[in-house]
Amino acid sequence: MTEEKTNNRVHGIVAEYTSVDSLLKASRRIRDAGYKKIDAFTPFPVHGIDEALGIKPTVLPWIALAGGLIGTCTALVMQIWMNSIDYPYIISGKPFISLPAFMPVAFELTVLFASFGAFFGMWALNGLPRFSNPMFTDPRFDRVTDDRFFLYIDAKDDRFDSAGVQKLLGETGTEYINSVYEDDTPTKIPKFIVIGLGVLMALSIIPALVVAKMRVTKSSSPRFHIFYDMDFSPAKDMQQTTTLFADGRAMRPDVIGTVARGQMNQDLDFMTGIDVEALSRMDMPRAQRLARAYSPSALAMDDPVADVPAAEVPAKPADEPIAEKPAKAGKKGKKKTAEDQPVAEDKPSEPKKEDPVVDEKPAEPAPAEKMTEASKPAEESATAVEHGDSAAVAPAPADAGVAVDTTPWLTENPLAISAEVLSKGQEQFDIYCAVCHGANGAGNGLVNQRAQKILATTWNPPSSLHDEAISSGKYPEGKLFSTITNGIRKMPGYGSQIKVQDRWAIVAYVRALQQSQKASIDLVPEDQRQRIELLKKDVDKVLAEQAEAEKQRAAEANKSASTP
Amino acid sequence: MSDHSPKIKPADDPAFKLPESLGALSVPLCIGGIAALVIGWMLGWFAVDARFGMSAYLTAFTYCLTIALGSMFFVIIQHLVRAGWSVVVRRIGELLMMMVLPLAVLFLPILVAVWVGGGTLYEWTNDNFVEETGYSAKAWANKLGYLNPGFFTLRAIFYLAVWVGLALYYFKGSSLQDETGEISITERLQARSGPALILLSLTTSFAMFDWVMSLAPTWFSTMFGVYLFAGGMLSTHCAIAVGSYVLQSRGALRDEITVEHYHDLGKFIFGFTFFWTYIAFSQFMLIWYANMPEETEWFFHRQEGVWMWVSLSLVFFHWMLPFAGTMSRHVRRRPMLVALWGCYLLVMHFVDIYWIIMPEAEQGMGGVTGVIASLLCVIGMSCLMLGLVLSKASQTGVVAARDPRLLESLRFHQI
Repeated sequence: MTEEKTNNRVHGIVAEYTSVDSLLKASRRIRDAGYKKIDAFTPFPVHGIDEALGIKPTVLPWIALAGGLIGTCTALVMQIWMNSIDYPYIISGKPFISLPAFMPVAFELTVLFASFGAFFGMWALNGLPRFSNPMFTDPRFDRVTDDRFFLYIDAKDDRFDSAGVQKLLGETGTEYINSVYEDDTPTKIPKFIVIGLGVLMALSIIPALVVAKMRVTKSSSPRFHIFYDMDFSPAKDMQQTTTLFADGRAMRPDVIGTVARGQMNQDLDFMTGIDVEALSRMDMPRAQRLARAYSPSALAMDDPVADVPAAEVPAKPADEPIAEKPAKAGKKGKKKTAEDQPVAEDKPSEPKKEDPVVDEKPAEPAPAEKMTEASKPAEESATAVEHGDSAAVAPAPADAGVAVDTTPWLTENPLAISAEVLSKGQEQFDIYCAVCHGANGAGNGLVNQRAQKILATTWNPPSSLHDEAISSGKYPEGKLFSTITNGIRKMPGYGSQIKVQDRWAIVAYVRALQQSQKASIDLVPEDQRQRIELLKKDVDKVLAEQAEAEKQRAAEANKSASTP
Repeated sequence: MSDHSPKIKPADDPAFKLPESLGALSVPLCIGGIAALVIGWMLGWFAVDARFGMSAYLTAFTYCLTIALGSMFFVIIQHLVRAGWSVVVRRIGELLMMMVLPLAVLFLPILVAVWVGGGTLYEWTNDNFVEETGYSAKAWANKLGYLNPGFFTLRAIFYLAVWVGLALYYFKGSSLQDETGEISITERLQARSGPALILLSLTTSFAMFDWVMSLAPTWFSTMFGVYLFAGGMLSTHCAIAVGSYVLQSRGALRDEITVEHYHDLGKFIFGFTFFWTYIAFSQFMLIWYANMPEETEWFFHRQEGVWMWVSLSLVFFHWMLPFAGTMSRHVRRRPMLVALWGCYLLVMHFVDIYWIIMPEAEQGMGGVTGVIASLLCVIGMSCLMLGLVLSKASQTGVVAARDPRLLESLRFHQI
């Protein structure tokens, strides 16, 4: 026994054995003597040792089972939440919650969590991680990994009594009994470890600092691309060519006879803002073109028919082949410019502003050019349709030279007006329209203010939506819708950005805006009148103050102007 | 445990012989089995229709065949991995594997049905298939390059020859060792086990394509062979557990097969229950997800009418119930419970095979008569097989008595 450690607390007593059999015998003896806090150390797993030591069956399987069940639930809840509630997304046409699709992840997480349960549960039950064990202070304990077996009785055991235990162990055929003392090596972490860790942590900050510096400074050298493909995608944009397909077109036309998901535009009135039935009575070819433009499948299927109205075009300049032309212009824009053809899109100031009803329609190409365009195969227009339902496929409300608009616009909003629709319209209006038209629709949005400030010469001020010309009596709902869709004068079309539904909601909101300017307080529900009155008082006060300040300033300016 | 060291008994010890009471069952089982099989088959044939009768026969045949092939896998894998624990139960697997010999004969009616043609059993033998189903004639012509009676027969002969050859090779080797105790026999069997396993896997998979999957000739699943292998392997472990329990209850192998061996069999039953589910679900999910008509038709048909309930019963009673039931160590360490779960899963394996084959007969379950016919067929064929296995067992003993690893197996102990 080691004399110099006697001042330390005894942790337990250990005995050494030379064979499994003697260890098992001794274990049973100690167990039968009533000791509970005992342990054995062996170089290899020994069958029956748990029974000999009186170790109760472990609860670890239950922890693993619980882990597995938690894993299953986690996976299912996670997937249902992500895929079905938070971000509902149709995949492969399956329902949002489709269990078979969730099974693989549920299976994997069950296995993972069960493994975690088993692994970390084992740690917890064994009191791990632990950096030292008093057993290691015993000089002969190293042989436990070689050819010796040790039995250990902990001092915390109720029956522990040093002399008694040593006597009992002495009867079990051991040649070595030793007290195990508390490990008295310093618990302080060695300096070199502290320094090493400190240096490592300091070094690890460097990348973060570099990134932070990059974020706030400018550099003249081009950025480097870690994932080249992500910055320069091989995907093709519109109107580009490719060698992959025989016809060289990167954008593929729809397969003949098919309709893309969400493109089944059946309600033409709703899509165009025009009463198509009335239009077909007035002007059949135009109605047909409209129909074809909005349903590519119909277009692709009736190839021969499609040519008929198109052939009429040169004879009737007022009826442009709407579906075909802008696509043409887009595709062949450069070529046409070279040929000195008038391409309106490239020339911002067409001398047509005086005509209030006229669109941003380009000038008519020469009839000959039109003829060739019109006789192009129907594919052409299919391409146009593909590029969006904005200007490319839009009906022209009127044409250059035709001042009177005879289009049978819808006069009522096809949406059922509700608070929801209006707030949707307001939201969309504030996003897309308010920058120019102003949040109140008076035509003085931020873009306009800036344009006035810098005296932009090409700026065409947006209309005030409270203009008499745009009021509901004079400007039908359908036309308003069409203007939002296709644009007017300098205003671009928003058909490709705003959903049809939302465009109609904007129409409804614009009407509400217009009405708000000439509404009387009687229209406000009773319970909200008081609030409005209060608001009005505040606003009036501010306005009065402003007017006062303005007057004063004017007076001062006058004074200073007149003084010299 | 090391405090009692088991002794190897001499090879002619009565504990290694088939108990008389079981051996006496052999002849009655064979006769009764043949009777039940023929009655069930004829009942299906005449009370429902010829195709239904043949399908019921094929169900029974496939049921026994998957267990026989599973046992062959079991035996060869034990040699391949040089398993020590399983020596005391391996002979039961070897006896079950020998079922392929009578099954090769019982395959004849199926072969005859193919040559008779007209869709007696397999629809692809029907000459008017394209006209009746509207299936693409070109695709059908290509399919017939594989599915035609001549090539079918050639392949069948090849599969059966391989199986009979392997069964005889491994069984003869093992029973020869009973007499000579020659270690070189074990070495020889081990050395051949790798190629044997490859050959067995491929023939099993293709036989299942030919004999079972081709019932729906336009449908295909590359996993199909593995699926039936999974069911067969599960059933084999069940059958060995049940066989061990019955033998022990009649006095044989009482000291040899211990709770440790049941524990291992129980683990395999648990594992293969899940493996079966894993394969079944993988097969289902890929088809369900891709949602292509030529693939979904097979499962769609099994979701209609009464088959939906059979499909659901597989989910709940072939997976969930036995999965939960055999999960616990306490269950696996009770021989009787392991044997009971084994019996249960052997029944569920029949439901599985029934679910695979019978919907293709296009008669539903064939009413009460149809169900009785199907059950008589499978009971009859199982009894016949059992009778033949018992008669074989009475000649050779029920344990590999002089296997060099017998002592290791006797001493086997779970950690």
